[in-house]
Amino acid sequence: MSPVSSPLAAPATGDGPLVDRSLFGVYVHVPFCLTRCNYCDFVTYTGMQALRRPYAAALLAEAELAAAGLGVGAPERPTVTSVFVGGGTPTLLPPADLGAVLLRLRELLGFAPDVEVTVEANPETVDRALADGLVAAGATRVSLGAQSFDDRVLAALGRPHDAGRVGLAVAALRAAGQSAPRGLDLNLDLIFGCPEEDGDSWARSLEEAVALGPEHVSAYALTIEPATKFGRLVAAGRMAEPDEDLLADRYEQACAALAAAGYCHYEVSNWARGPCGPDRFPARASRHNRTYWRRGAYLGLGAGAHEFAPGRAGSGLRRWNLRGVPDYLAAVQEGRRPTEGHEALDRRQARFEALALRLRTVDGLDDDEARALGVDPAGAAAAELRDAGVLFPGPGVRLTERGMFVHGEATSRLAA
Amino acid sequence: MPTDLVRLRNFCIIAHIDHGKSTLADRLLDLTHAVSERHMRAQYLDKMDLERERGITIKAQAVRLAYTAADGLGYVLNLIDTPGHVDFTYEVSRALAACEGAVLLVDAAQGIEAQTLANLYLALEAGLTLIPVINKIDLPAAQPERVAREIEQVVGTPAEETLRVSAKTGEGVPALLEAVVRRVPPPSGDPDAPTRALIFDSLYDPYRGVITYVRMVDGRVRKGDRIRMMVAAGVSEAEEVGVFAPEAVATQELTSGEVGYLIPGLKDVAQAKVGDTVTTAGRQAAEPLPGYREPRPMVYAGLYPIEGDDFPDLRDALDRLRLNDAALVFEPESSAALGFGFRCGFLGLLHMEIVRERLEREFGLELITTAPNVAYRVTVSGGGTVTVSNPSDLPEAGSTERIEEPFVNAMVLCPSEYIGAVMELCQSRRGTLQTMEYLSEERVELRYQLPLAEIIFDFFDQLKSRTRGYASLDYEPSGYRAADLVKVDVLLQGEPIDAFSAIVHKDKAYAYGRATAAKLKKLIPRQLFEVPIQATIGSRVIARETVTARRKDVLAKCYGGDVTRKRKLLERQKEGKKRMKQIGRVEVPQEAFVATLRTDEGDAGR
Repeated sequence: MSPVSSPLAAPATGDGPLVDRSLFGVYVHVPFCLTRCNYCDFVTYTGMQALRRPYAAALLAEAELAAAGLGVGAPERPTVTSVFVGGGTPTLLPPADLGAVLLRLRELLGFAPDVEVTVEANPETVDRALADGLVAAGATRVSLGAQSFDDRVLAALGRPHDAGRVGLAVAALRAAGQSAPRGLDLNLDLIFGCPEEDGDSWARSLEEAVALGPEHVSAYALTIEPATKFGRLVAAGRMAEPDEDLLADRYEQACAALAAAGYCHYEVSNWARGPCGPDRFPARASRHNRTYWRRGAYLGLGAGAHEFAPGRAGSGLRRWNLRGVPDYLAAVQEGRRPTEGHEALDRRQARFEALALRLRTVDGLDDDEARALGVDPAGAAAAELRDAGVLFPGPGVRLTERGMFVHGEATSRLAA
Repeated sequence: MPTDLVRLRNFCIIAHIDHGKSTLADRLLDLTHAVSERHMRAQYLDKMDLERERGITIKAQAVRLAYTAADGLGYVLNLIDTPGHVDFTYEVSRALAACEGAVLLVDAAQGIEAQTLANLYLALEAGLTLIPVINKIDLPAAQPERVAREIEQVVGTPAEETLRVSAKTGEGVPALLEAVVRRVPPPSGDPDAPTRALIFDSLYDPYRGVITYVRMVDGRVRKGDRIRMMVAAGVSEAEEVGVFAPEAVATQELTSGEVGYLIPGLKDVAQAKVGDTVTTAGRQAAEPLPGYREPRPMVYAGLYPIEGDDFPDLRDALDRLRLNDAALVFEPESSAALGFGFRCGFLGLLHMEIVRERLEREFGLELITTAPNVAYRVTVSGGGTVTVSNPSDLPEAGSTERIEEPFVNAMVLCPSEYIGAVMELCQSRRGTLQTMEYLSEERVELRYQLPLAEIIFDFFDQLKSRTRGYASLDYEPSGYRAADLVKVDVLLQGEPIDAFSAIVHKDKAYAYGRATAAKLKKLIPRQLFEVPIQATIGSRVIARETVTARRKDVLAKCYGGDVTRKRKLLERQKEGKKRMKQIGRVEVPQEAFVATLRTDEGDAGR
């Protein structure tokens, strides 16, 4: 049985806060990089140049398989509201190949008129020609892995670019965006709590990021994953794990600097320019991210990509692809989805997952939604979290800015 | 079938753990062909659990060996097992009372250890014939001459009379069997007198009810006899009697001098306690056998379910355990911090660990154990004495006239080079040196009076670490003495937490308070708000620490839409909370409740 037979079927009644059926995303993974960064445990390969063209072809083929699984033409199927091409370094694929994949998706699934199409790019790969190529391919948004504007930090992270390169990339993208029919939004990714970083260098990174005027900023706390160079250094006792209080200091620094520059903090790690809608999301928030947080449907194409279908009851099915590129290619060539694993959530898991995801964003839950997810908005746990300044005063269950950074503990307490 | 008393020998083996008791028992079984099949033998070695037909699970506490001696005559040798831990000294004394002789087994490299010595003294008190044996003579590190001299000094057996064996290779074991026959006297007792049988162990079997292990002293017991427990005063019917050869074999009767089992048709080991005397209801003995003692708890701790709903389950589980453990005592209590639970009394820390582990494993309960404490005798103003087994029940300082605590007479054996280290430790635990005696040039016996409260927790670990594992310890209760004791309370966020209260000597109260506050600071995870920790005596704050608020606890971005991993991490975090007890707003991990008594030196020593 295919776990995604009819994943978007049945516009169920009474989904409540479990899923949002107005969203339908496509995630496309490109697992190639020039070099492997010291903190990264994503599915990516350095080298394997020879596999890039076959990989692009496999993405096209997998798109066909996925669309067939959805039942193309089914009347209740929504059109695609967002595409996110991530990696890896998607810009290591020729833009024309990316364009072909996007075009095929549009043909197969249909794109909403205001579809958001984001492509991740690393600064060292972006010049004017590439930027024009991305626009021609249909990108409406580029997410640039800047990470820091301190060269010592970039070197410590193992990034192949320097700070100056980010500015050049932004300039190229801005220029190319002039001719984009719907413009080209920019996101800058930043990481804090890095080796070689101090409060001042983080402040400068924030300043320089803001000075480049991106529509969107993502700022992540450095996380040490075991299967990375940093993970091995920490395990060997040759590097300290980032201190929680220090990370909290940096986070607060980011909150203050970005707010001062007019960005709206709409998710734990995400800020965007407004104005803010009635749902508290700023206008330039990433719709694709929102699809994750609201448990909207998304396809996952490419090695290691994850996929979610709410299913009739809204509890949801998750499946994910084989992580190894050769395995992935072989499966697609045999004409089957390269599924590595899947899980069908039960109601309890789905409610917990929805609670955790919905608490990450600025809108939180209203009282009815909270109750639907098993949280008493006037209960002892909520009251304690309000006392501690983790939740806003009612109505509703919403994390404060400080609360977002203790999201795990807050979720556990509310769900207990 | 009655055994000719003259050809009967009842004996046990006294040995320190690791000195080779099981291996020697195994060799004795081999030589007497008690176990014919290999798998049986493996089973026997496997902690002596024998599973028998009729669904009875029997611990072979005694095994009957048929032996043809050098004189050409057949003998029956009953080898009786003894528990090997200081918590069970009384049980040991009853097992010894079932014997006429004891093999004193000493490791040729290690020499006599404190536990061996303690049991040896019990054996001498019981009037047993001793057969000193040096084991492991095949080891390169063996020093049989030195150990033989040590034994001579302690027991008085001339060094040359001490047997030397290797239980591993079997060398010298036949000579040991001969020695048992020649030196251990046959049992005396009157087969025609009113029946008296000593219960030296009893356990509960789910199919047969209570099974007792008995030494017949006088008279006889037949299957179907009406019998009476002289202390517990219950009358029942002997459903079955038999012997272990080594498996349980039902017999028609047991007669004076024999060792075997008796199934009395009872449902609860409390009705047939170790040390009780079985007599026949028709022709009762006038006096029970001497030496019976009610099991006496030495340490107490609160047991609480983490989930309040589990309280009835905990009560049922304790009731079930008590069927098999006459030494376990408990009564319900309630704690402001922990809710409803039980104050349980144990023979010692090992006993407590066993009970706790069985409750968690066999009954699936998640428990909080409070720090173990001793029972205090408190004389309140205006007369009257109360026993306080829960520190939070100690009356207000103003209303107590005198507090007494239990003391023990402790014996430490160690190589002479560690005398200083041992004395330092004992003095820091408020010990008073009684005697110091050289067993040989290298080994010393130190006797101390020590408050029981000072040794129940980590004393043994400390002793081991300060003497590189060479010291050994044994102790026995030696009554109550007045001491200058105070109650130290612990407050979280300004609220006193009764489960953390402890009774401590006044001179140590400040250090205890500081160490406890520091320990809790380490153990209590950061919460979403600040948690001040205070230690107080009365209204006086003696120590203060703060667990600062947690500021970062969030998972990184979900790469490629991988929400599954994130959810699983959060589910684990949520599950982790189940191992925590919420006290007020503060989540406190289980281990915090026991950790308060661990002293700094415990950490420093590791």
